[in-house]
Amino acid sequence: MKLRSETAEIQELLGKYCRTGEEVALPGITEGRVHHYRRLVYNAVKNTMDQAFPITVASMEEEEWDKLVHEFFSKHPTTSTQIWKLPYEFYQYHLSAGTAGRLKKPYLNDLLYFEWAEIEIHTMPDKSIDPYTDKGDPLSDKLLLNPEYEIIRLEYPVHIQAVKGIELKKGSYFVLLYREPGTGHVKFLDLSILHAFILTRIFETGESVQSFKGEIAQLAQVESEKYLDNHLTDFVNNLIDRQMILGYRKV
Amino acid sequence: MKGSVGIGLRRDIADEVLSSDIIHPDFIEFAPENWMGMGGYWNRIRQRAVEKYPVSCHGLSLSLGSPEELDWNFIKDLKVFLDENKVTVFSEHLSYTKSNNAHLYDLLPIPFREDAVDHVADRIKKVQDFLGRQIAIENVSYYTPVAAEMTESQFINSIVEKADCKLLLDVNNVYVNAFNHKYDAKVFIDQMPLDKVEYIHMAGHEQIEEDLIIDTHGKAIIDPVFDLFEYTIQKMHPVPVLLERDYNFEDLPAISAELEKLRSLIKNHWEAVHETSK
Repeated sequence: MKLRSETAEIQELLGKYCRTGEEVALPGITEGRVHHYRRLVYNAVKNTMDQAFPITVASMEEEEWDKLVHEFFSKHPTTSTQIWKLPYEFYQYHLSAGTAGRLKKPYLNDLLYFEWAEIEIHTMPDKSIDPYTDKGDPLSDKLLLNPEYEIIRLEYPVHIQAVKGIELKKGSYFVLLYREPGTGHVKFLDLSILHAFILTRIFETGESVQSFKGEIAQLAQVESEKYLDNHLTDFVNNLIDRQMILGYRKV
Repeated sequence: MKGSVGIGLRRDIADEVLSSDIIHPDFIEFAPENWMGMGGYWNRIRQRAVEKYPVSCHGLSLSLGSPEELDWNFIKDLKVFLDENKVTVFSEHLSYTKSNNAHLYDLLPIPFREDAVDHVADRIKKVQDFLGRQIAIENVSYYTPVAAEMTESQFINSIVEKADCKLLLDVNNVYVNAFNHKYDAKVFIDQMPLDKVEYIHMAGHEQIEEDLIIDTHGKAIIDPVFDLFEYTIQKMHPVPVLLERDYNFEDLPAISAELEKLRSLIKNHWEAVHETSK
């Protein structure tokens, strides 16, 4: 490397100061100016987190939130060249650091992940879509799902209620997030475990609902075939209306 | 794009730039990092923008001045992005944004030193070789020098020469730095390698202390910066000129008027002179 170690160390000192805010002795600077770099750097990160996690921000005191951002940025070497991906590193950092337990906010990991997932679905690269038609039978024909989706599992229902009292609602919740093809808007739906199973199975195997209806009946403990058919037909049609199911695969 | 006037494509004004009659840039500029790998709504906006306008790109994360290794995975993705979007001019900052393997998301000042010149020039050459194009490096605004052993103008000149790269001359940054570090902006312009300028940036700034201006890109360009621009373009060949505005888009007609003022100055100096000399 052509850079003298002394020059590299000076540069790293300034970088460290910008990350931590802890004073460092830098040679050849104008007095009273260097703190602007810490301010500008930190504000860029803080603003990104504020915009990415509005529900989390609203759920805690400003000072507490600021501490989470400061801790993340000072301790975690951020790897993303694209600042809009930084919220995922923030989520991962606090998951690993056990922040939810430390703050006695057991829902925090779910909340951060849910808010990140919305960004992830909104920005994920476009996926190719197989040929499909809007004419078909909801049960016997193969369905084409909107490929721009994710089903996430949460322990706390952060997607449907405010955090007050949510500690008492620990359980197993499934949320479908998907990107609406026309608008690009992200929509989300609370899913039962049965519906999460059905969608995952269709996506992974491409089978028609009819072909694994027996398993669905067993899981749902439903004996009436007519009832089950009506339920599944309604489920499929509802998701077609919502553009989560795009239509029927062309054979 | 020589002698044309563009604007940075920010999300807040994307609809207006693409669809309205209020703003009429000749070209647009992307920060690649804000668009790379992105699908959905913003990808469609990017595609429409590329179809409608010539595109230049102004990078944020190459971190040409960092002590650590270049991020080759990022540079590979960048090359694909530049090629896909038919980018005519690619520029980056003469600064560093990564330290101790952590990204910092703002522009830190490189020590003006000979070893830093060699180091940065070497990195620019490597990037240029890989991208298969010359890049333009921008003179950045800075609020304090750090461990300098030469002047800013010596630093910039040496790097442009050793790297065989182009210069993005940010006229507002020259004004900001001249104010903050008490030197004469016109003398500084005279010291720049104007024959290497490929691109000009113009922007607004904010004075936050009696003796300190921050380069915010959030306000209208002030008259002294227009004056410095006029002084500069009389001394050089036509290049594309970009209006940088990152926020405060409420008064779009005023922003449009800034574009028009830049066009008018260009017409007075570049078009007249270069038409006459043909």
